[in-house]
Amino acid sequence: MTVRALERISVGQNGLGAFILQCKKMDIHYCDQSGSSRGMNAFIKSQLSKFASLHPQIEFAVSPRPRKHPVLIGHYINGKQKSICVKNMDSLQVLKKAELLRDASGEKTKRVNKPITSINESVRGVWSPYHGKGMPV
Amino acid sequence: MKRIRIGQLSRQWLATTPARSPTTTTATTTASRVSILLLLSRPAPAPTALHAQIRCQSTTTAITPEAIFDEPESKESKEPPEESASSHQANSPLPSPHPDKALRSAKLASLHARLSLSSKIPLPTLARALVDPSADAHPYFNNANLAYVGASRLQYHTSEWLVTRYPRLPMDIIFAAMKSFAGEPALHRVARSWGVEAAGAPGEEVDPGYLQFAKDKPSVMMHKWGYARAEAKELVKYKWRRGMSSRVVFDDPFGNTIPPKKTNEVEVSDARNTKELLMEDAEKNAHANFVRAVIGAIYLHCGSDTTKTFVKSHILSRQLDLSNLFEFDLPERELTRLCDRENFDPPVARLLSETGRLSRTPVYVVGIYSGRDKLSEAAGANLLVAKRAAAINALKAWYLYSPGHVGLPSDTFAEDAAPWKPAYVDIGEIIS
Amino acid sequence: METRQVLRPLGSLKHTTPSSAVTPVFRSVASRRHQSTTSRTKKALKLPPHPDFLTPQSGQNHVIFNPPAAAPSVYHTPFKFLPKSDPRRQANLSQLLRSSSDLHTSSRSTELPPPMSKLEMRERKYNVTKEQVEEMRQLRAADPATWSVLKLAEKFNCRPYFVMICCKASPEHKEMENKRLEDIKSRWGTIRTKAREERQKRKELLLRGAL
Repeated sequence: MTVRALERISVGQNGLGAFILQCKKMDIHYCDQSGSSRGMNAFIKSQLSKFASLHPQIEFAVSPRPRKHPVLIGHYINGKQKSICVKNMDSLQVLKKAELLRDASGEKTKRVNKPITSINESVRGVWSPYHGKGMPV
Repeated sequence: MKRIRIGQLSRQWLATTPARSPTTTTATTTASRVSILLLLSRPAPAPTALHAQIRCQSTTTAITPEAIFDEPESKESKEPPEESASSHQANSPLPSPHPDKALRSAKLASLHARLSLSSKIPLPTLARALVDPSADAHPYFNNANLAYVGASRLQYHTSEWLVTRYPRLPMDIIFAAMKSFAGEPALHRVARSWGVEAAGAPGEEVDPGYLQFAKDKPSVMMHKWGYARAEAKELVKYKWRRGMSSRVVFDDPFGNTIPPKKTNEVEVSDARNTKELLMEDAEKNAHANFVRAVIGAIYLHCGSDTTKTFVKSHILSRQLDLSNLFEFDLPERELTRLCDRENFDPPVARLLSETGRLSRTPVYVVGIYSGRDKLSEAAGANLLVAKRAAAINALKAWYLYSPGHVGLPSDTFAEDAAPWKPAYVDIGEIIS
Repeated sequence: METRQVLRPLGSLKHTTPSSAVTPVFRSVASRRHQSTTSRTKKALKLPPHPDFLTPQSGQNHVIFNPPAAAPSVYHTPFKFLPKSDPRRQANLSQLLRSSSDLHTSSRSTELPPPMSKLEMRERKYNVTKEQVEEMRQLRAADPATWSVLKLAEKFNCRPYFVMICCKASPEHKEMENKRLEDIKSRWGTIRTKAREERQKRKELLLRGAL
């Protein structure tokens, strides 16, 4: 037995194979009295049921917070959460924010300066000075 | 969170909550999948409290314990679920949530939708998959049976994929690759990536959408997931040698021995689950069992094709560089044996290029040739290192041969499948 | 590629031809003014495309053969390692013909790159007879201190490795040798000890393919 095995764990990449929506829960807080929640209340009345039925993957929790601004809080699979204050927004703007939370991955926003990031090995391999015939310049 | 009533909204949403029928298997209406959690000021309705102590699992018709526990002595000890449930005192809490609660759990419905499970799989089954045997010992209400079915399907699909895709892998590497795809640490990560949360402690009052296992109790593993050797005690005590080829027949699917059964085990469950083993990491074990149980549930409710697609998309799509699994001992000798066995010319090492021989950091590129064919090459800081690395690369190139995307044996199960073309079978690993 | 071709007409590519490859480049470097401006830098960095990427005179479609300047991957199975049933074996006709012609012509080692060292090239000689092996064993058993492995190898004109295969030293001698080695090791300073430890670590890493 000259070959022995090392233990490794396979790495999953979301979307390669199956896609799991990263937003797992959305908290929706509103206030019945204050004017800053007017758009939020309209959103809950008119659009939330449709939005929720379109996204059965997300658990929605609607609860009032009297005398507070309305807030959308997204909970993500990686354990992080994102909250957006939607005070004084109209219902369409709130819907936009809800969609933003739905599409987020939960990661911290970071600068992406490469078009593609991949854990795959390059098809042409790592350049080495000892290979290839080179080109006279 | 404060529970209060939302005046106008609650009325319209209450209409969408499904009618609660205790034993129905098709209770999952599309409306119930819309997972809106209503936080109402009212307590739980009275009918729930009435039949709270009589649990009927929706999956009991689909999966009977006889299918898995086929020992004769288990027949006598088995009781109908109603009797065993009623043997609980009326005021003693159930060990796990009532199956009816599954239909009203937003968390569970969202998990069902997140995994894109078919509507054929009822929510109570998914809720049952979330109950570890350490939380609820009753086999009708925990996921042990589902996980057993799921594990066998998962390991079948993983191993057939590995063997047909890389027919020359040595047995040890196949075991390691199996473990890195379908082993406990990998399945733990899969469950975490599905967004499954663990409950703080199992109990009746827990939302059925949480994974329930007892951290303080030792977790259990089904004994029949492999073959326990008769000499298992001596293996541990005297450190007997355990050959690789015997692991193919005995032991668990990852080549590890199943430890011998202890005489006085810790009491973790009912008399039915006598054949159980203690696991080290309760959390990992519970998460892995959940993934297996979901696969088992898919197999029982949707059939083998759906199971295969699910395993392929969630487990086999994960990435693993098989060339990182190898650890060699005597690569040069093994390569010579290989060339001898295959009637190739004996391998010779030749210097392809070099730089800085007299400097502090020389680099040599050494190629290994058999006859006129180059088998491999590698760079190294001295000649012997480069030669050894080249021999390792040659062996990896041999072992990692792949015939490409050839069909799997399970493809032929379909009705209109093409007849099976035999896959390439290697004569075996190199013995030196 | 297209824009580069336009910017740099084909006439300027003539120095890439192998006949006049060296001298014009050196001349242009020597005569370059050393006041760098944006346009000069840009001009200097404008490389012509690789000749493979240019459309040939005939204007026909052609295959670009541009192998990567990288060490080959282990997932690329060498031709010799492909099983008989593999379709890639039949597809690669040139290799197939070459390997079949190999069988007829015997010594092709001259076409291979140079050997790593002279030791690689020496022929195996099977010159030690059975009686000599017996004698070797007797000598080694009688006086292992005098008849060391190296001495025996010199006497019987074989490799030390062969001597070690034939003879087995007594446990006392092994213990003595080990003790001597330990004494030597105890005299090592920190630098040498550390260097030896790291060498061992590198060896293990190499066998795991992690170096």
